[in-house]
Amino acid sequence: MSESVAFAGVDVGSLGSKSVIFEDGKIIGSSILRTGLKSEESGLDALDAALEDAGRRRGDLKYIVGTGYGRISAPYADKTVTEITCHARGAHFLHPKTRTIIDMGGQDCKAIRLDEEGNVTDFAMNDKCAAGTGRFLEVMANVMKVGIEDLGELSLNATEVLPVSSTCTVFAESETISLIARGEKSENIIVGIHHAIANRIHGLFSRVGIENDVFFSGGVAKNVGMRKALEDVMGIRLAQPEGDPQLAGAIGAAILAQEAWSKKKILAVV
Amino acid sequence: MSLQTIGKINEALARRPAELEKARAEGKKVAGWFNYNVPEEIIHAAGLIPVHLGTGGDNRLVELGARYISAMNCVFTRQIMGQFAEGGDEYIKNSDVVFIDVTCKQLYRVYELVRYYFKARAEILGVPYNFQVGAGKEYFRREVAAFAAKLEKISGSEITGQALRHSVDVYAGIRAAVRELERIQAGPETPITWHEVYDVIQAAYYLDKDTYLSLLGELLSEIKDAPANPKVKTDAPRILISGSVIPPGDRKVLDLVEESGGRVVVDDLWSGFAPYLDTDVEEASLEGIADAYLARHPHGSLPVLDIGQDKRLKNIKKLVRDYRVNGVLFHTLRYCDCFTFKAAETKNVLKTLGVPFLEIHTEYARSDIEAIRTRLEAFIESLGTRLEITSGLIGAGI
Ligand code: SF4
Repeated sequence: MSESVAFAGVDVGSLGSKSVIFEDGKIIGSSILRTGLKSEESGLDALDAALEDAGRRRGDLKYIVGTGYGRISAPYADKTVTEITCHARGAHFLHPKTRTIIDMGGQDCKAIRLDEEGNVTDFAMNDKCAAGTGRFLEVMANVMKVGIEDLGELSLNATEVLPVSSTCTVFAESETISLIARGEKSENIIVGIHHAIANRIHGLFSRVGIENDVFFSGGVAKNVGMRKALEDVMGIRLAQPEGDPQLAGAIGAAILAQEAWSKKKILAVV
Repeated sequence: MSLQTIGKINEALARRPAELEKARAEGKKVAGWFNYNVPEEIIHAAGLIPVHLGTGGDNRLVELGARYISAMNCVFTRQIMGQFAEGGDEYIKNSDVVFIDVTCKQLYRVYELVRYYFKARAEILGVPYNFQVGAGKEYFRREVAAFAAKLEKISGSEITGQALRHSVDVYAGIRAAVRELERIQAGPETPITWHEVYDVIQAAYYLDKDTYLSLLGELLSEIKDAPANPKVKTDAPRILISGSVIPPGDRKVLDLVEESGGRVVVDDLWSGFAPYLDTDVEEASLEGIADAYLARHPHGSLPVLDIGQDKRLKNIKKLVRDYRVNGVLFHTLRYCDCFTFKAAETKNVLKTLGVPFLEIHTEYARSDIEAIRTRLEAFIESLGTRLEITSGLIGAGI
């Protein structure tokens, strides 16, 4: 049996820790866990879970790339790369026609433009407040007393979009409470919340522009209501790739791990 | 190994406040100044000691300053108000008079407020909106003449033609030396880093001009034979920094660029290389100086309605070419409208040349450090990939 040449990407975000094991250009294992208090431990837990999923051991790994906000404490990684570069590479892998990425994570959102090779050409980030992030949706789900995973489905049943003007989490919370007190239908409020975020993200794109295909990555990308709101507000069609959009960053990291290892090997020969 | 002359410059800086105090005790007057278009050589020729004022990077002073100026004013002006309020800045303390040119209106507000709250002796130097038209030039000539008259009154003696010629020569020597330093540090291998040159440029804020000129001469001859600094990464992406002021005391973004693996090779900051870039006084007269200041690299606060005519943009394009820049970092300070408003057009102009651009919008509080780090690292990663592609590493399948 030939020696295993496996690579890992570990993406520790503020809410979720993701890991992907890559071998022969294919994903052979992955994991998504909730990020705990210590980002180093969360990264290692995600890595071990992905290795188990892949039926591999740590010793099989040739190179590990760490990314996400937890990359600053990732001593297990051979190298760290920003989530912006990793998302671009991961989205390109999942959907090669991607030229624009909307990434909505736990505590920030990003607008990323890339070329046909998956290299970043421009980007803009919102990380000053919770608007347009998973955290915002969590707070709102709490106010609406529904599960975060049900938020999207519920919004699809709306009969009208109630305007929620604020994207400041604190103000939007009180705005939502007064809508509930007024007796408005929950679905209509929820769709309003999604539209408020979509408007905010649309503004972020004024800085970098949009080109098809548009890939929606990050944990929030699984929310069908958010997908629909983005499509309606931005007048775009989101790509429907196979594979988990929440893993895009970890996939990109694993691809970069493989590239870095090949580069190292070639430079060692030269 | 650090350069000996830089050590000497730092020692001279440490001695400077005491020197100023002594000079004042002996009857000399110190003229502090803020902003961009105060013609320092005239202060020098008037026999006063010029000191460029204003520091950054201290959020405590910003908070203090915000008690006296609107929180919607830029953090730099808020910090200046904080400096006046606290009274701890050695150079402000030792200024007998403070001149502020009205290049940026936010500093005009500082002029009003330091007089009102702190009874500071502050004077204004008007700057025209339009540098191109005859009326603008005329206006600035009159303002410079009035400025010179005020200086004569303060010093109690006339500015002679001979003194003016000497001062113009000293400043021309300083500018030539700084240009040479900027050229040398940008070489592939260099004994002196851009950051060191930036600090040397800011030493000119405070030091005696003749001393400074001779220290620059020493530094140039020292680096002529000095070995290359191994810390300078020759393969790092080459970055131009533009945008809002980065004054002494504020090194937040500069440090982060270095930590992220980027190499700054040039800037057009008005607290850095901008005043040295193309200021050439051809005629040693008040009019000659006024005209030279208007003809040089303009400050971003000026409205330029015709982008095609904007000298600031033309110069940035030239610097990108001359310094083989891979990407432009545009630093904007919170509520510095002058430069924040110019970010989009600068980005668009550079885009036509295929030059990547990143705007970093920040303030002196340190809460956004990690957010800035992520942006900078991502930007430098993308510049690195572009460099690898052009050098053929990636095209070769690696
Ligand atoms: S140019 Fe910007 S940083 Fe400088 S004083 Fe004006 S507003 Fe403040």
